[in-house]
Amino acid sequence: MGNPMKIRAASKDGVTEVKVLISHEMETGQRKDAAGAIVPAWFITELTAKHGDKVVLSSEFGSSVSKNPYLAFKFKGGAKGEKVIVSWKDNKGDTRTDEAAIG
Amino acid sequence: MSRFSKTILVLALFGASTAAVAFDNFKGVGRQATPAEVKAWDIDVRPDFKGLPKGSGNVERGNELFEEKCASCHGTFGESNEVFTPLAGGTTKDDMKTGRVKGLSSGELPQRTTFTKVATISTVFDYIQRAMPWTAPKSLKPDEVYAILAYLLNLQEIVPADFVLSDKNIADVQKLLPNRNGMTTDHGLWPGASAKKGGIGNGGKPDTKNKACMKNCKPEVLIGSTLPEYARTAHGELADQNRNFGAVRGTRTLGPEAAKKAADAGTLDLATKSGCMACHGMKNKIVGPGYNEIVARYQGQTDAESRLVAKVKAGGQGVWGSIPMPPNAHVKDEDITTLVKWILNGSK
Repeated sequence: MGNPMKIRAASKDGVTEVKVLISHEMETGQRKDAAGAIVPAWFITELTAKHGDKVVLSSEFGSSVSKNPYLAFKFKGGAKGEKVIVSWKDNKGDTRTDEAAIG
Repeated sequence: MSRFSKTILVLALFGASTAAVAFDNFKGVGRQATPAEVKAWDIDVRPDFKGLPKGSGNVERGNELFEEKCASCHGTFGESNEVFTPLAGGTTKDDMKTGRVKGLSSGELPQRTTFTKVATISTVFDYIQRAMPWTAPKSLKPDEVYAILAYLLNLQEIVPADFVLSDKNIADVQKLLPNRNGMTTDHGLWPGASAKKGGIGNGGKPDTKNKACMKNCKPEVLIGSTLPEYARTAHGELADQNRNFGAVRGTRTLGPEAAKKAADAGTLDLATKSGCMACHGMKNKIVGPGYNEIVARYQGQTDAESRLVAKVKAGGQGVWGSIPMPPNAHVKDEDITTLVKWILNGSK
């Protein structure tokens, strides 16, 4: 259960633009700490976004994605007040789901 | 109506009294700024919230405004590093408790943001009100500034999403600012006595130390390094890129021809400085003969140089007419020799 994501979704001319700011360490597993020990890998592996029940984005993340990543995408459809649900899963099996109403 | 007339009366009195003061101090210079002008100019908001306008704004309204006016440069979440450094991010809940952002001193912050650094919330308010949006500064109303600031504080997770920021509760927000204890005033630029003695400065002690040398000082300045040969032409003609007056000149960098030209230009400067050019032209007669005429007359005479040096030094009359040349005892002998050589060589 990580920190909450920040999600903004805005619909315009039948297209909804979603912006997400994810809060995650995204450790690659290749970094060493001050003592020389490897910092264990800890990154998001899967991320899906749903509009209601319909999946509008399904993606695989990896260690090349930055810390606290920013994600923006558009999909057709979506009306004001409807829900966009974003969820991720990381390599430690942790998951997080957040939702926002389309504005 | 009565309120209206009172206001007029007060304004009139204010105007009259200040105008009198102004005319005493600066007679005939400008005019006194009107109260409206002073009000428009005096917009700063101070850390003790002096100057803070009344108003309020909530996070939701701030989100709308931010999306409309700010997000194109700062990113929807204030996260963008494209145009300016990020506004939000980089702090933890612990930082809000301690009032000092740990990431700044531990070095684990990859990127500083506005909220990792700023120690006074009034500064952010003042800045937005004064300078934002970039394309239309001072166009935001106080309520809009409150709303945008509320949105930023929410992005930073300092206030909840339903927060309403106003002039009443901004002082409470100050107490939650992650880097509120991050500012030190123990510097010479801060006014007043040291913090121990109740001031905020350090008593005016400067941050840097430069002791004036009073004994056993170095007698002369030695040039420790010069432009290396291979680099001389790297930036074209340096002499042309520096101003042609004052103590510091650029050196001639483009080849031996340029060097000769420079030497000649130096002699011309010397001639001007020594007063020769007032009466002698390079190619024409002014009061005395032009240098070209001198060259023509003395060409081929082996002792011309020494004779002319003596003439320049002592002055003379008769060779070129009845107007005398005054003696030039104020010019150094070596300079006279240089000048004469220069003239006889064509004075180019």
